[in-house]
Amino acid sequence: MSNNILTQNDIQHVDYKDVDLLKQFINPHGRIVGRGKSGLTAKQQRAVEAAIKRARFMGLLPFIQK
Amino acid sequence: MADDAVIEMNETDAPETALRIYEVGYHINPDTKEEDLDKVVSTLREAIEKTSGSFIAEGAPSLMKLTYPISLREGEKSVEYDRGYFGWIKFEAPIAAAQTIEAFLKQNKSFFRFLLFQTVREDTRAKMKAPQLREVKRTDVIKQAPRRVEEVSAPVSEEDLEKALQDITTE
Repeated sequence: MSNNILTQNDIQHVDYKDVDLLKQFINPHGRIVGRGKSGLTAKQQRAVEAAIKRARFMGLLPFIQK
Repeated sequence: MADDAVIEMNETDAPETALRIYEVGYHINPDTKEEDLDKVVSTLREAIEKTSGSFIAEGAPSLMKLTYPISLREGEKSVEYDRGYFGWIKFEAPIAAAQTIEAFLKQNKSFFRFLLFQTVREDTRAKMKAPQLREVKRTDVIKQAPRRVEEVSAPVSEEDLEKALQDITTE
């Protein structure tokens, strides 16, 4: 069983407003986790990265966390 | 060959009037009164309607804390915002409209931060499934221990008791 959260929950689109979902793809410092850890496909990883960067710009997610 | 045809079609199909789906997310100045929020949002809506855009979905602005303070220069002094009324609008508009709306948001001081990008018509919000509990098949069956039937003892006379005690001690 893969640990791909998006496939498991049948999520086709990643929205920058879904902060709780996106928080699962950042580490405690606020950095985006790599594919090795996230278990996403390349396409999904790109979508998640774009969404996280949008959320950061809008102040919904931190750029860095202490 | 087939790919060439598709590219050609797209090129001819993309004049300035071709429609695209856009989403705009914005933060309204937290000093704005709650009753004035509708007014501020309606100015944005008017700007979209002016470009012959049609609305698809909308999220009403609600006050939220930002994860980092956003500082802006307003004239001589800089202002720091640690919260804002966050809202969003998804709409369909011609390609040329995006620039117009962006220019409108830039010059409007009520929106201290905004984001405009192309998206899809479908609802993009994730609907997380409730975590399903894994069914575990039991292989070990716990057998119930046989219940002890409590003996109901009748009142014992002192003689019997002493006799029983003597039996134990003599052994």
